[in-house]
Amino acid sequence: MSETLPDPDLVAALPRLRRYARVLTGDVNRADDLVQDTLARAWEKRQLWRAGSDLRAWLFTIMHNVHVNQFSIRRRELAESSLDADDGPVAGWQIPVRATQSDRIELNEVLTQIGRLPTDQREVLILAAVEELRYEDIARVQGVPIGTVMSRLNRAREKLRRMNADAHAPFKVVK
Amino acid sequence: MNSALPLTDDDLNAFADNRLTDERARQIAAVLEREPALAARVAEIRRLNAQLRDALDSWLAEPLPRTLITAAKAPRSRRRAGVFRAWPALAAAASLVVGVAIGWQLRGEMLQEAGTPVTFQRQAALTHALYAADANRPVEIWANEEERLVRWLSKRLSFQLHAPNLNTVGFALVGGRLVAGNEKPGAMFMYENADKQRISLLVRKDAERSRETAFRYAQEDGVSVFYWIDDACGYALSGNIDKQQLLSIARVVYGQLAVSEPVAPKN
Repeated sequence: MSETLPDPDLVAALPRLRRYARVLTGDVNRADDLVQDTLARAWEKRQLWRAGSDLRAWLFTIMHNVHVNQFSIRRRELAESSLDADDGPVAGWQIPVRATQSDRIELNEVLTQIGRLPTDQREVLILAAVEELRYEDIARVQGVPIGTVMSRLNRAREKLRRMNADAHAPFKVVK
Repeated sequence: MNSALPLTDDDLNAFADNRLTDERARQIAAVLEREPALAARVAEIRRLNAQLRDALDSWLAEPLPRTLITAAKAPRSRRRAGVFRAWPALAAAASLVVGVAIGWQLRGEMLQEAGTPVTFQRQAALTHALYAADANRPVEIWANEEERLVRWLSKRLSFQLHAPNLNTVGFALVGGRLVAGNEKPGAMFMYENADKQRISLLVRKDAERSRETAFRYAQEDGVSVFYWIDDACGYALSGNIDKQQLLSIARVVYGQLAVSEPVAPKN
């Protein structure tokens, strides 16, 4: 079955793909490379896309896989052996904040904090909270059972809560 | 999943993310009313969600590199579209002549492409064409969160916005989003009527000090646009609907904005 992958939709999806790539890589330039590779892969695999299904989730899945492959290659190059799911935070996480408003500090803070989450947890958190994907779709993106998604989501939020509590310790009422 | 107690972390997360069936959500809401500590956790999760969206949504309005737009096009159409292949040369030539409208066929991709100056009315038409056709995500924040939408856009544009109410002319607010502008971002509100026709209002703070308020009309790639400048803000109402109908809606918008006395930007 050869559905046509509609390129206006792909163009429309670009801002979100770029954003997700930044969340994965933590680096603006590497993010755009990842988007580029993802789009190339999407065109190669266009037969696998089902018209009417959620294009966003499909593209995120491809991006996730491309990133995992590239990441594991890089890790092998770095002579690291373990490939456990809970990989550490992205090295060199540096995401710029474009906002010029007074909320800049707060935005910076939240971006720094998500940078300290393991990639898998950060991924789930952003897909759930920002992209508002269904948990089933997130499970498909990551290729894991839904229970794993739920526990990653919970751990991500728990960590951020603790970071926040530490950051604002003098002003927070301790439970 | 029938008993409401005890609630797990998964329940709280799914509740906070609005991922539960209505029935389950009702059960949990009932428990939360009795358990302030749990309710506080849900509130905390939602606050974090909003904060994350706030932080990351601004990226969506950034200009797109041309290489990515090319990569998003079907390989075959990339080969066939001679215009597209000639695009870099065309752009290089055109950039020598300020203000020349270029790349007429390249509607969508011009919209957010880095470094491409576009007139306000053209930007409005392109923005409308791109997002009105988007079935899944025409807007960034939906109308059910109108208050948050207006607050967020006002913050981003640094002045107080108002989403006009067009119910009297048969158009309901769908939602809105932040869009890329030539220099500063703009805000877009989208509306839809019973026939699923969409119109959108683009608002931006205008760099020029023009005080003129006359309506102007333009047609860009089949999209009708009425635009005007008022109090250092530019407004453009775009749609694929009848020109007279669009004009009468533009008058309603204008009237409402005049009444709402926007807090004038300080410059």
